[in-house]
Amino acid sequence: MEILGTVIGVVVKSLIFIVGMFLAAAYLTLIERKFAGHVQQRPGPLHVGFHGLLQPIADALKVLTKEDIVPANVDRVLFYLASLLAFVPAIMILAVIPFGEPFTLFGIEIKPYITDLNVGLILALAFGSISIYGVIFAGWASNSKYPMIGGLRKAAVLIGYEVALGFAMVGPLMMAGSFSLREIVAAQDGFFGAFIWYQPIAFIVILFAILAETGRTPFDVQEAEAELVSGYNTEYSGMKFGLFPLAEWYIGTFVLSAIAVILFFGGWKGPQIFGFLSPFIWFFLKVAMMFMFFLWVHWTLPRYRVDQITEIAWKVMLPLSLLNIFITAIIILIKG
Amino acid sequence: MIKVKFLERPNLNLWEKVFFLDFINGLKVTFKNLLRKTITTKYPYEKLTPPKRFRGVHAHRVKDGQEPPSFAVLGKFMEINYDESRCVACYMCQQACPMPTLFKIEAVQLPNGKKRVTKFEMNLLNCLYCGLCVDACPVDCLIMTDIYESANYHRKNCVIHMEDMSDRGRDFDRRRKQEKDRIWIDDQERTKLWGQIRWT
Ligand code: SF4
Ligand code: SF4
Repeated sequence: MEILGTVIGVVVKSLIFIVGMFLAAAYLTLIERKFAGHVQQRPGPLHVGFHGLLQPIADALKVLTKEDIVPANVDRVLFYLASLLAFVPAIMILAVIPFGEPFTLFGIEIKPYITDLNVGLILALAFGSISIYGVIFAGWASNSKYPMIGGLRKAAVLIGYEVALGFAMVGPLMMAGSFSLREIVAAQDGFFGAFIWYQPIAFIVILFAILAETGRTPFDVQEAEAELVSGYNTEYSGMKFGLFPLAEWYIGTFVLSAIAVILFFGGWKGPQIFGFLSPFIWFFLKVAMMFMFFLWVHWTLPRYRVDQITEIAWKVMLPLSLLNIFITAIIILIKG
Repeated sequence: MIKVKFLERPNLNLWEKVFFLDFINGLKVTFKNLLRKTITTKYPYEKLTPPKRFRGVHAHRVKDGQEPPSFAVLGKFMEINYDESRCVACYMCQQACPMPTLFKIEAVQLPNGKKRVTKFEMNLLNCLYCGLCVDACPVDCLIMTDIYESANYHRKNCVIHMEDMSDRGRDFDRRRKQEKDRIWIDDQERTKLWGQIRWT
């Protein structure tokens, strides 16, 4: 009975998370388009619904009813797999992200997270890396030049930033003393307890890595519209194509912003001014700010070359994150 | 010989390198733009008037007593009523056109010995809106209007005829004949869009 209850609870929660994430991703596209528009002094979607509020739905209908073309010479298995492989791991990271402390509603204890693994952060990192395989496979399976170049570029960039990302996360982990995202949040107390004050270097490295992982502009070499005609997804069409930007630009960025918020900004902690909803409101407020920051960077900067990115990753970001670990370790040693 | 100009890469000092100052400047610029008003014309709901010399859909000027002197000579041999297209079927426009086959011009000789234009059709699908035909017309008949919405659902609707061309010409002259011939319009929309220009 106990097990059945748990299973049902987890299934229901997963469904809520997945459906919620889909809807959120749809509206994140709207936010991004509005933001990009206003940065370039145009209004963005405007006429479908009030100020384009129904545009994501129209877009979804459009992309779902598009003809799904599979070129003749592709590697079919990988070609179909690639778009799922980009999308599913990205959404699976949600499994370990806590949205708040457990609370009681109508006598039932509700945990606003799916699992609280003690290796949560490592799982998130692993899924993030698996989702990159989608891009690389897409490039390889398309059997065409531009996707190939895009996939290879992504692979080259991946090797660089993954290392720096992994090492940069060690700093906050050492301070929290746990891999569980919940405990990391619990370790940050009050406004000046947030790890951003103690780990600014790690924060910068992680910003860099998230931008590179989600393929946002200073590091979007894999889809470089100008040179590679959208790179790895050139041969894709219909919803198979739609899953890539959805996974990378929206779900990926959202989920990784959530992780950055948990690591550096104290997750859902904040003054209790909205009643029992305040953890959620704080969390989503912080994640939204983080997301907007990534958008802001995306629509500001031009693109780096691949060699420049790997150079930054290996020569700047990796030493920085190692230095950060070193300093953190010494401080922890001294303070005991 | 192609001349190559070498530019020194701007050298950032340590301060700028450590704190990403360029990067922050860029962010500042985008943020400023974010707060500015949008300049988009909401096209189907709001349309800009093109300048008078815009090269849009073709039209025929009508015989209205304001013809150039050349018409006094050519018009003598023509059977053209008042307020009808003043085309004299000289085929000059077709001669000048880089794509002459888009014109279908026919004229007949009436029993009284005068000439009457029976057909003047242009297939605008082949037109590249270069305006050479307008320059070639000796009687200032063929003009180009400021109408730029020439898309159609059927190909046959893209062919324009003498009647609707004269209508368009009358309409265009009524609206814009008096307007001064400037390259740039200086009307409300333009000021709204780009701000007031101060000439020095
Ligand atoms: S605008 Fe140019 S292409 Fe068009 S009909 Fe006139 S001469 Fe021919
Ligand atoms: S050049 Fe002018 S007058 Fe001559 S046929 Fe063409 S439109 Fe008519």
